[in-house]
Amino acid sequence: MTDEHPALALRGLAKRFDGKVAVAHVDLDVPAGSFYGLLGPNGAGKTTTLSMAVGLLRPDAGEAWVLGHDVWADPVRAKQLLGVMPDGVRLFDRLTGAELLAYHGLLRGMDPAVVDQRAAELLDVLALGDAGRTLVVDYSAGMRKKIGLACALLHGPRLLVLDEPFEAVDPVSAALIRDILHRYVVGGGTVVFSSHVMEVVERLCSHVAILADGTIKRVGTLSEVRGDRSLEDVFVEVVGGRTATGEELAWLSR
Amino acid sequence: MAVPVTVPDATAAPAALTERARPVSARHFVRLKLRVMGNNFRGQGWRVAMFVGGVIGGLWFAATGFFLLAAPGLAGEPKYALMVAAFGGGLLVLGWLLLPLVFFGVDETLDPARFALLPLTRRTLVTGLLAAALVSVPTVAVLIATFGLVLTAGMLGGWAAALVAAVGVAAGLILCVAASRAVTSAFATMLRSRRVRDLAAVLLAVLAALLGPLQIVVLAAVRQADWDRLAGVARIVGWTPFGAPWTVGIDVAEGRAWAAPLKLLITAAAIGALLWWWSRSLESAMVGAAGGGTAKARSGPVGGAVRQLFPRAVGWARRDRFGALVARECRYWWRDARRRANLITIAVIGIFVPVMVNFGGASLSTADGMELATPDSSPVLASLSVIFVGVLASVTLANQFGFDGSAYAANVVAGVPGRLELRARAAAFSVYVLPILAVVAVVLAVVLGRPAWLGLLAGTLLASYGVGLAVNALISVLGAYSLPETSNPFAMNSGAGLAKGLLTVLSMIASTVAAVPMVVAAALLGDVWLWLALPLGLAYGLGAALLGTYLAGDVLDRRAPELLTAVTPRR
Repeated sequence: MTDEHPALALRGLAKRFDGKVAVAHVDLDVPAGSFYGLLGPNGAGKTTTLSMAVGLLRPDAGEAWVLGHDVWADPVRAKQLLGVMPDGVRLFDRLTGAELLAYHGLLRGMDPAVVDQRAAELLDVLALGDAGRTLVVDYSAGMRKKIGLACALLHGPRLLVLDEPFEAVDPVSAALIRDILHRYVVGGGTVVFSSHVMEVVERLCSHVAILADGTIKRVGTLSEVRGDRSLEDVFVEVVGGRTATGEELAWLSR
Repeated sequence: MAVPVTVPDATAAPAALTERARPVSARHFVRLKLRVMGNNFRGQGWRVAMFVGGVIGGLWFAATGFFLLAAPGLAGEPKYALMVAAFGGGLLVLGWLLLPLVFFGVDETLDPARFALLPLTRRTLVTGLLAAALVSVPTVAVLIATFGLVLTAGMLGGWAAALVAAVGVAAGLILCVAASRAVTSAFATMLRSRRVRDLAAVLLAVLAALLGPLQIVVLAAVRQADWDRLAGVARIVGWTPFGAPWTVGIDVAEGRAWAAPLKLLITAAAIGALLWWWSRSLESAMVGAAGGGTAKARSGPVGGAVRQLFPRAVGWARRDRFGALVARECRYWWRDARRRANLITIAVIGIFVPVMVNFGGASLSTADGMELATPDSSPVLASLSVIFVGVLASVTLANQFGFDGSAYAANVVAGVPGRLELRARAAAFSVYVLPILAVVAVVLAVVLGRPAWLGLLAGTLLASYGVGLAVNALISVLGAYSLPETSNPFAMNSGAGLAKGLLTVLSMIASTVAAVPMVVAAALLGDVWLWLALPLGLAYGLGAALLGTYLAGDVLDRRAPELLTAVTPRR
């Protein structure tokens, strides 16, 4: 029934901070079962857009639906279907990995036995079991990303929203995360993630949107957006800005 | 917008391949601090309002202090001049030393850790940070207040005395700031290494414990009204760093000009020692912040994830949302240095203040010397003193979401209902506070020698704690502010530290007013109240807490995203 709805639908989302426009007007439809990459340079409004989409930041205007449920009018239902890994947001990091997972699981109203079982599996697969009683605050950046992903996955959401999941992650962990996400999508889930790493997006995504200056510049399936060029070329063309130095910085080469 | 991390002129340093870097002076730090304070106000009307409130409070304090300190000069009473200067100034230094530890926190507008990567010598950094610390509302207030000493010296001894007094006051102010910085910095470093935290708790307890005997000695001295003896004490205090900078002007006025340079030397030596101490702990604070905590391999986990989350103290909780919130909060009250410092404060102050208040009228020395005198306390006085404890305990929650910072996003994403959230937080805090309150009640009843008052004390404690929970549930949702993400438990954000202190005071006043019925009942009902106080106090406190979280929970349901924005530190 809910499959008739897009997994995530954004209509006219806008947000200003202190009079400065962060997100101007974003419309986006993420089809159910897609692997959606949200691309954009630093400061394009990716985090702001995703925060408004999942109910962390109240938009000045616009609406967001998760599988047909309005995030801001019917948050309880929408949030049950959502798994979120925000970026630049701390976890409750004075817990151990296992404690953090148990907290998230119970907070989602899950059965304790199921929480135990899934937490053990996730810690094992993500190679976090060795950390034992180490607090998350003492984890490395890559480990923190992995435990964040585990927290978002634990309750089996229909839609995963990940902000910069591959930032500061080593190649081995990145491959692991890619594999997990791939299995999740094959199993019928939908993933939306933001990134500015072209290679990852080209390899994983079925759909792409390019966000710059708070608006969507290009949107569609990967092949529609890319055409016969590389994604990086399209990205640089859309975003603009200089990619090479000229006469300045001569003192660098002394 | 990022807080500017670099000192403006120091950014010219990359060009130093050819040019010499321009030296960084204290002036740059002061300008940086003013700039950060200014940027903080941009587009934040309520912050400006709070700052103005802070300035008004500071001016009120300054005016009061000024007239108190200037009184001997204005009244032409040279007899009391030295006493006022030595005791007033000594209290001032003591206040700067202890208040940041207990209540207000230290203004960390310029977080030393942010300077870790800049090529600054330790000397430059310390003088710079000291200069920046001197630019704040409290320091200006103290400067105005202590100008009263200059006036006194001038009225009694003419221009020369006034001039010396002014030098002394300036040195005294630097001493105050240096002392507060050194102590909080050293304390923070100690609390950071988890092994030494228990030692820190003991140190704080000892510091607070010293206040008790000191007050009793002072009270005994005042009671005997032996002015000569008091003057003797003042003379001695005047030769310690606590009193030296404040009494130089009086010395000159009273014809002891030779004492002035010696006392200034004492002050300078004290400042030097404090700055040296500060710079030592600064260095470890910077390294510690850059290097992160020390990872320690702990023993392997036991049991499933859920069982690990729940501490033994909350083993009774159901394994559901409420239980998870309670368990997580319990872990945090112990593992977060900032929160733990608050718990220690409650425990120490909670026991000492009521004991001191209720002994206020007692004299230590009786006919046969060592025997403790019987305290002449009353149910009303006892009620008032323990209301302070209950209110102090609950005011810790005034910014409970600020402790979480951006981590609170997890609860927003999970859609936790507001009432559940607030009640779970209150329950988890009570796991620690209720035993403390019980100890306070028992200790107080024993020390006062009135076991029959146990019900009265416990009931009043519960009532005041309960109404405090209600008031602070609302304040924590409406007046939340972000705390800096440092591990310094005493750090405050932005230049509006005093204004945030005002919010705390407001919360304490509201809670106290709500607890007043307990005092009225104690005054009117007589002995019956000794029996009724516990059940009625428990009912009143519990009812208030439930009602408060009921109302505040509704507000939280509507405002959760805004609350998250408020407690997320701006970078």
